[in-house]
Amino acid sequence: RVFSPEVDCVSGKVFFRAAAGLGELRKLRSGERLFLLLKKHSPLPVSGSRGKMLEEIKSFVIEEPKYWLAIISVWRKLHGHEGRTGDDCQENASGLKRKSEEETNTASKRQKTEQVRAVVSEECQVKAGETCVAPERMSSQECWIDSKTSSEFPSKGSGENPAANEEPGFSFRVSCRCSGAIAKILTSQEIGRALGVALVRRCGWRTDLRDPDLEIFVHLNDIHSVVGIPLFRLPLANREYIKTAGLRSTVAWAMASLAEISAGALVLDPMCGLGTILLEAAKEWPEACYWGADISDSQLEGADGNIRTAGLMDKIELLKASVKALPLPSESFDSVISDIPFGKKFKTTKDAQLLPDILQEMERVLRVGGTLVLLLSQELRRHADGLTRCAGGDPADSDSGAAPAPAPSVDGNSSSSAQGGGESVLSRHFGSLVPEGVYAVSLGKTDAFIHKYRKVSAAGN
Amino acid sequence: KLGHPSELPPEPVPNYEGGEEFLRRLHHVLLEVEVLEGALQCPDSGRRFPISKGVPNMLLTEDEA
Repeated sequence: RVFSPEVDCVSGKVFFRAAAGLGELRKLRSGERLFLLLKKHSPLPVSGSRGKMLEEIKSFVIEEPKYWLAIISVWRKLHGHEGRTGDDCQENASGLKRKSEEETNTASKRQKTEQVRAVVSEECQVKAGETCVAPERMSSQECWIDSKTSSEFPSKGSGENPAANEEPGFSFRVSCRCSGAIAKILTSQEIGRALGVALVRRCGWRTDLRDPDLEIFVHLNDIHSVVGIPLFRLPLANREYIKTAGLRSTVAWAMASLAEISAGALVLDPMCGLGTILLEAAKEWPEACYWGADISDSQLEGADGNIRTAGLMDKIELLKASVKALPLPSESFDSVISDIPFGKKFKTTKDAQLLPDILQEMERVLRVGGTLVLLLSQELRRHADGLTRCAGGDPADSDSGAAPAPAPSVDGNSSSSAQGGGESVLSRHFGSLVPEGVYAVSLGKTDAFIHKYRKVSAAGN
Repeated sequence: KLGHPSELPPEPVPNYEGGEEFLRRLHHVLLEVEVLEGALQCPDSGRRFPISKGVPNMLLTEDEA
C-alpha cells in the first residue's frame, strides 16, 4: 500500500521503509499505531545485576542532546502539519511527501547505525493454513514517568547543559514495555523511570504524564530492542469516520480484506452490531453494496449513527433481523463477514446449537464461490472446526488421516456440550464450506481468530 | 404505494426501457427515496414489516419462525 521494498514482520510489529506523505501513511488500516523508528538493535544482554542492566538500557536509549534536538525537529515537522488541520492530514500531500523524503535521506546520512524507518505495530498475522500461534503475551504494562520524579531534579537538569542543548518547557513521556528475560530483572516502570530521569538530566526537559509534547516508546524483549516516536497524535486505529467504535477497526478491516470484495459485490454482516466491519469495508471498497442485520435496536441505532457520520448511507443498508432467520434470498451474497459474539460460554445445549443455526443461514445466503469470514474466540473455533470439517469416520474424506490434532478434541468437546440432550452438534456438516485460512489477532485483553471459508458447492451436495 | 408525488404505474408498461419519464421516476424511487417510517409488505403473504428510522424490522414472531 505504501510502497516499500523492505517489510519485516515480527512479534506483532511490522517494520518497513516508506517515502510517503503523512496523508498516505495515515491511511494504513491494519496497524494499531504507527511509529517512526529511531533505534532497532538485537536484545540487550541480560545480567543479573539490575544496576548494570539499567546502565545498558540507558546507554542504548539516551543520546547526546544534539541527537534529541534533531529528533524534536523531525517530530515537529510531522506534528506541525497535523494539529491544526485535524486528524485527516491529506492536504499538501505532495509537499509533505517531499519533506519526509528529505528527512529520510538526511536522517540516514546523519547517524552511524540509525536509519529512520517507520514502524507499524500490534497486528499479528499467521500464514494461511497454519495453526495459529497466539500473539506474544506482554507480561508487563505500559509505563508512564511519574511527575514527582521530575520535580526532584530540576536543578540538575538546568545546571549541566549549555543553552544550545536545552528546550525550555519541552515536555515528554517515556512509554516502556518489556517482556522476556529483561522483564525478569526489571519492570517497565523502573526502566521508564530511569530513562525519564536520565533524559531530564541530559536535556533539561520536563515530564508530563497527561499531554506531553513528545512521547518516546521503548520496547525491549527477547527478539529486539526498539525505540520510536509516534507519527500521529492519535493511533491509526482511531478512525475519523467512525463515531462509536465496536470491534477494533484494524481487525474489522483485516476481515474485510480477506473477503475478496470486488466491484459490484454484495456483502452481508448478519450480526453487525455498530457496523464497524461494514464501515471499514465500505470505506476501503466503495464499489460494493453492504447489508447489515442485527436484532438489537440500540446497536442498529448506533450503526445508523456511524453510517451517517461516515457519509456511507448510500452504501450500507440496515435490517432488523435475526441471523437465525435471515429475510434474504438464498445464494444472494458474495461475502458474509461477521464477528460472532462470544461473551457467553458454551455450556448449555442451546448455546452450543447457536453456532450451527448461525452457520446454516450464513451458508444459505452465500453464493457458490463466495467467501465467509468469521471472528471466533478460542472456544468457538473448536466448535466451528468440528462443523466445517467432515467427521473423521467419513470414508469419502481421504484427508481425515492427515487432519491436524484438534479434530479428536473437537469431538470430545462437542459431545460433552450435547450431553443435555437434543441433536448432536456434529450431526450437521457444512461440507460446502471449505476452510481457507486461520489468522490469530489480539483484541487487547483476549485473543481471537479470523476464519476464512469458501462455499464450494450448494448445501447438501 | 409511497404516497409520494412520483407515482409509478402498477405494472411496467411494454417498452418501459424507452420511457424516460418512467425511468426517471423509477430511479428516483429506487435510489433516491429513503423510507424512514412506513412498512414493507410481502407480496405473497401480505405480512407487513414496519420500517422505523429507516430500518425495516424483519424479525419473525415465535409462531412465524
